[in-house]
Amino acid sequence: MSEMSHIDNETLVAYLYDEVDAAARAGIERHLQACGTCGGELAALSDVRAVLKSWAPPVIDLGFTVVQRPGGQPPATVLRPVQWWNTVPVWAQAAAAILVLAVAVGVANVQVRSGADGFVVTTGWMAPANAAVPVAPVTAGLAAEGENWKAALVSLEQQLREEIRSGRGGADTVRAASRSGADEATVRRVQELLQASEDRQQRELALRLTQFNRDVNIQRQADLVKIQQLFGQSEGEIDRQRRMLNYVIRASGTPQQ
Amino acid sequence: MVATDEELVAKSMAGDVDSFNQLVLRWERPIYALAYRVLGRDEDARDVAQETFLRAFRALPGFKGQAKFSSWLYRIALNLCRDWIRRKKRTPVVDMPEGVDVIELAAEQGPVESIEDLVARQEMSRIVAEGMKQLPEEQRTAIVLKEYHGLTFQEIAELQGCPLSTVKTRLYQGLSVLRKHLESRGMTSLNSGRAS
Repeated sequence: MSEMSHIDNETLVAYLYDEVDAAARAGIERHLQACGTCGGELAALSDVRAVLKSWAPPVIDLGFTVVQRPGGQPPATVLRPVQWWNTVPVWAQAAAAILVLAVAVGVANVQVRSGADGFVVTTGWMAPANAAVPVAPVTAGLAAEGENWKAALVSLEQQLREEIRSGRGGADTVRAASRSGADEATVRRVQELLQASEDRQQRELALRLTQFNRDVNIQRQADLVKIQQLFGQSEGEIDRQRRMLNYVIRASGTPQQ
Repeated sequence: MVATDEELVAKSMAGDVDSFNQLVLRWERPIYALAYRVLGRDEDARDVAQETFLRAFRALPGFKGQAKFSSWLYRIALNLCRDWIRRKKRTPVVDMPEGVDVIELAAEQGPVESIEDLVARQEMSRIVAEGMKQLPEEQRTAIVLKEYHGLTFQEIAELQGCPLSTVKTRLYQGLSVLRKHLESRGMTSLNSGRAS
């Protein structure tokens, strides 16, 4: 490279990205010390590179996992993000479903009565169990059905546990097996979810506290206005009674004290 | 001790799906980032990343190990990106992911970065994305591979199937276009080089 000519574009780019050998580097640096134009060009391209660093893709949870379908020779494959509910064991999902059902039944206040028109099932949103209508005693048959229902649920839970233990979970089992390799990612994702949930709860708490504070202030001002009005009414009443007393005194001819 | 890509590839080829999933976990983020910067759309980038790993898994028996596993993945991903651009017959559009709230982002960034800094950075990012959108696909891909993935000129040349000198030219031309774009958006400090 001549000191008189400028550095060609390819060489400049190679120097910019530090992909030149030592000999070429020495020549380029010697030229750059003498040539302001090439020095300016290099500085401008370096600035562009610095700005490029600001461009980042969104931080998202990808969670791709290769899943093999059971029994396939060769195995069919699918690829999909692991959803958080897939990381929860099946028996835990079943238990959660039972819990939700039980809570829903409790909240809905389901009542079964037997009357002249047969069995009547009623619900009442958060109504007390012994509210308006007197509840007839539940018949022995219904009690037995309730016991059967509970027994069926217990049996279902045991069956699910057995399936998990014995590895007869079909596609789910294979998925679970392939998932073990991604345990670390799963734990990290759960931690991220928990952290996000905690942050959200803190934000909601702060919001609720602000709202509560504002509501208290509004209520306090309303109470002050009401108290002032009450005071005003009391003063008016006292004034009226004083005038009435004066009138009575004048009417009776007694000198006012 | 962390297994190398080569070790995990060998286990995967022997039928160990968990090993392949470790490779997926290791490379999903770079592959997604590559696709996002080339295509510019979050959803499309996810699809391409997913398809990349699926194709890699299926083609694993044919992987002879002449190239690095990561280069092989990059090649699959870039081919998919190219197909996507051809199929859609449109230039990539860079968009912000849905549901991104600047204030919420600021809260997550912690006390080190003010909201003003964050907004400025976001604005800068948007301007860069706009500039990248103007580049031909070859120049954009060369810049993405060099700037964000640290590949050598030789690796880029192999991925793009072109001579080394072409890669350098693409980089120079791409950076020059970006420079003009940044200048047009008021970044006058860049306006100090020679006339190109």
